[in-house]
Amino acid sequence: MFAAKLLPQLFAFFGIAAVVLRGYPERRRPLAVSVGAGFAVGAAVAFFLFRNFPGSFPFELIRTVVGASFFLFWGIAVTALYRSSERALPDASGRSSRLDAVAAPVIALGAAVTAGALAACRFSGNDAPLGPVPALVLLLVIGALLAAAGFFLEAKLPEALTVSRAGTLGGVVALLLLSSSYLVRLDLFSPLSMKVMKGCHDFVHQFMESVLIPDHLFVRPQIWGYIGILFSKEVGFWGGMVIWFTPFLLVAIAVRFELLPSVGHIRQGAQRRKLLAAAIRQRRMKLIVPLLSLVLMAGAAYRSSFPDVEYWDPKPIPVAADPSGDVFIPRKGGEVDLSDGKLHKYLLKGGAREVRFFVMLTPTGKLTVDLDACAICKPDGYGQGEGSVICYYCKTLIPLETVGKPGGCNPVPVAFSEKPDGVHINGVTLVNAWSTTVQSTGAKKEGGK
Amino acid sequence: MTVPTIQTAGLTKGYGDICALKPLDLQVAEGEWLSVMGHSGSGKSTLMNLVGGLDRPSGGSLSVGGQDLSALSEDGLARFRREFVGIIFQQHHLVPYLSAVENVMLSQYFHSVPDEAEARLALERVGLGHRLKNRPGELSGGEQQRVCIARAIINSPKLLLGDEPTGNLDHKSTVMVLELLKELRAEDRFTVVLVTHNEEVAAWGDRTIYLDDGVLVREERLRS
Amino acid sequence: MNRRRWLIKLLLAALAHRTGRTLLLLSVLAMASSLATALGVVSLSMGKRVSEEVRKYGANLVVVPAAARLEVGSGGLNFGAISDPAYLDQGRVEKALASGGLKAERSFHLRGALRMKDADVLVEGVNFADVRRLFPWWQLRGGWPGPGETVVGSDLAQRLKLKAGDTVELTGTAQTLKLKVSGVVVTGGEEDDLFFLALPELQGALGLPGQLTEVRLLVSAEGDTLKDKAAALQPLLPDAKVREVRQIARTSEGLLAKVKLLMTLVTAVVLISAGSSVTGTMSTTVLERSREIGLMKAIGGTRWEVLLIFCGEALLLGVVGGVVGYLLGSGIAVFITRTVFSAAPEFIPWLSAVSLAVSLFLALLGSVGPMISVFKLDPVRSLRGE
Ligand SMILES: Nc1ncnc2c1ncn2[C@@H]1O[C@H](COP(=O)(O)OP(=O)(O)OP(=O)(O)O)[C@@H](O)[C@H]1O
Ligand SMILES: [Mg+2]
Repeated sequence: MFAAKLLPQLFAFFGIAAVVLRGYPERRRPLAVSVGAGFAVGAAVAFFLFRNFPGSFPFELIRTVVGASFFLFWGIAVTALYRSSERALPDASGRSSRLDAVAAPVIALGAAVTAGALAACRFSGNDAPLGPVPALVLLLVIGALLAAAGFFLEAKLPEALTVSRAGTLGGVVALLLLSSSYLVRLDLFSPLSMKVMKGCHDFVHQFMESVLIPDHLFVRPQIWGYIGILFSKEVGFWGGMVIWFTPFLLVAIAVRFELLPSVGHIRQGAQRRKLLAAAIRQRRMKLIVPLLSLVLMAGAAYRSSFPDVEYWDPKPIPVAADPSGDVFIPRKGGEVDLSDGKLHKYLLKGGAREVRFFVMLTPTGKLTVDLDACAICKPDGYGQGEGSVICYYCKTLIPLETVGKPGGCNPVPVAFSEKPDGVHINGVTLVNAWSTTVQSTGAKKEGGK
Repeated sequence: MTVPTIQTAGLTKGYGDICALKPLDLQVAEGEWLSVMGHSGSGKSTLMNLVGGLDRPSGGSLSVGGQDLSALSEDGLARFRREFVGIIFQQHHLVPYLSAVENVMLSQYFHSVPDEAEARLALERVGLGHRLKNRPGELSGGEQQRVCIARAIINSPKLLLGDEPTGNLDHKSTVMVLELLKELRAEDRFTVVLVTHNEEVAAWGDRTIYLDDGVLVREERLRS
Repeated sequence: MNRRRWLIKLLLAALAHRTGRTLLLLSVLAMASSLATALGVVSLSMGKRVSEEVRKYGANLVVVPAAARLEVGSGGLNFGAISDPAYLDQGRVEKALASGGLKAERSFHLRGALRMKDADVLVEGVNFADVRRLFPWWQLRGGWPGPGETVVGSDLAQRLKLKAGDTVELTGTAQTLKLKVSGVVVTGGEEDDLFFLALPELQGALGLPGQLTEVRLLVSAEGDTLKDKAAALQPLLPDAKVREVRQIARTSEGLLAKVKLLMTLVTAVVLISAGSSVTGTMSTTVLERSREIGLMKAIGGTRWEVLLIFCGEALLLGVVGGVVGYLLGSGIAVFITRTVFSAAPEFIPWLSAVSLAVSLFLALLGSVGPMISVFKLDPVRSLRGE
């Protein structure tokens, strides 16, 4: 079970080894060694970080590294496209081979270290089956094995399958992103689309307020509909998609526009055509890795949108307010124990309205009562993962420590009074809080459509 | 002495009980023009098909251009044909819905990439510069055979095979076609193997072999 | 020249060479995919229409005067029309509901015509508090009305060039109302063509105090229990009819189901016969062209390359057939929905993918057998003319 969870990270590492070796075939042996070593170093560093910096710092760091590699790749992709139609000169200066001598080990080591850290992240949670030291040893062995497997299996791939320089980096980055998309805390696509959405939102807001009439009656519903599109989650999603996939497309386009060798000097037509055909075939083979990377990226985006994590998400328990409008949740009742640190969801029905809220004990030792909704998203509710709750709508992870504090996508806190026997909440407060929250997030945004 | 273009040792081909080709030892040197004669059913076409990589021998060894044909896969044989062999058929076998140029380009397509300019040039070389866009149905037998020759030589083969290429032609066309072959050979230096029933046609070659019932019965060297 | 472009040119030349056969295959493929498209368009757009109408109604039980027929829906999907003005007594209905012990959200409606300038407009009297609860999808630009105010449906507002803040004068049989427009409502349904006022005001204007044309109930129950509830309520309201909204839609659903079944059968038959005729045509074509295939192999085409040429032909036919089929199918769908449902179908672009897939699938599946013989064909034998 746990081994299956580790599989994506190991697969990604194996893929990285293979792509790097294929990308720089002149130095296969040293590269294979450095890939294996890099994996080990990455895993060791990650364990060191987990031990010395509990909390989210190590994850932030790894995520930043992966994200940075993606944006670096963006730059490389643009450059590759820019330079694609230059005719490669016979390498007299040796400039490109000297560049390779630096780039190859840097890419190999960097990718392997990150891959190692990603694999180590799997052992960071409380449910990890092994302690840090055995886990590290295990990872070292696996890393060495996989690097060796990559070394031997890559040689079995057809000779004709080649990779361009940018394609190599693209393959590596896609594998890293795929690997990190399997870890919810390291996911990059959701934050990216969230950023795009926020950016768009802010832009539209400012634009609307400064240039166009603000909330005007004459603006027809259809127009509001179109404006609504800019605010919707779709903008974030599609904008994110564009940023996500474009560099790989750029690399593919760069390969497609690579100039064919000049054959004018060859006198015999058949030979000339044969050379051309071979070059075209080679160019087509070079497209394979970028296109595969696109598939991997699609996989990563899918993973990110539908994370394969089981969240603790109990069925809401219906509760009712007593005649004085008081909602009482006993501290211990039935199977529920409010102080077990888990999310406990309740459902209050008042007329046609239903209010979902939850009670939980935060790691700081305080009980908190919050709506099962936040102030900015559609009220899709929350689930509890390790060390955090997740907003199902925007996939933001909210650390357990900050649950109960208002703002952002945090669950909207509700005033309550704690008694020895349980928690008392004013029903009216609850209904009002829900109505105002949901009206501003659910109804209004949907209304635009 | 270079490797012979065709070298067979104990080459046989049987169709069920019928033995179309008895063990045959044959060597054709590079650049040679070989004529193959023999009465009907003596195994001439069978030999051509084997040498051209269209069929597989039942036994013996067959190497063409240094390649052992029996070791090649089905697709390997196809690749051998397009790069090494040009074939001219008695019945032309041109694609009816393609023009003369396009028929030549079909051969280029399978070989590598089509190149119309080169195909035109090849047709001009065989004297059909004025009938480029005509379909086979609009060409005479001799003209069709010349398109066939252009198609056969377009990929610069090392070996040109002709199975009774002049069988359907009158005397004048026959001479024209053979003249053309001779000219082309002088330029491109390919080996020619022609099957014919006609002594006169056979006399254009450097050497003539006579088959009878699948056996090489006689060999006649005209030039060296 | 580019290999791919040359290939396409070759395919087109081959197809053009056998015009009759190409057209036959194309029409067969287009026919099959057009039927599939039409089936998709009809069932999707009409099914959506039916369920939308039901959902738009908001309530699940409706009480109408016994003499009247109920009007639900709009456009071609009219399930019935009011024939006679007949009314329910508000007090009696309330009493019946109370004594029936039915827990339900309710909303009272009185519909009638008022004169505005020189034209009649349809006006509905409602309790806005009920409306807000039962029809949460109403989108109001402006505010909910107070006394002496009205809400205008968006279509009507556009026609009459009304906006919030304007005043209108509506004349009824009993009195004339001067109303301020407090907002414009968008529902996406027939309500967009109505004026809405507070129920008592309309009752006053029409001189029908305490009268209703319709009561909508939202009973929290599903399926059979809903039917039971309707049955239980009926005896308490002898001069009224209690109906489930689902029941009203059922006739339309039934019709749709029948049309769908018929179309499915026809499509299935056409698909099967199309598939077999593709196979037949393709086999004869391949048989006729065996010399050509042999030649292609003899001059150096590998089995796969030659297969690609013939598959390419099938593919090309499939694509063109699919595109034509989509256009044709949309036409058929328009015809069917016009004649059977007297409603316009939706334009569903993604069905073109389905049409394309059907056509391609048929073209490729139909030519599997011939393609195998293309692949296997021996060049020596075929060139000799066997
Ligand atoms: N596919 C086949 N199946 C069975 N027998 C065959 C086949 N092909 C050729 N043969 C037999 O092999 C023998 C040689 O045939 P081949 O075609 O080589 O003769 P040929 O010398 O070319 O005759 P021709 O001058 O008439 O063309 C003949 O007896 C023929 O019947
Ligand atoms: Mg013969």
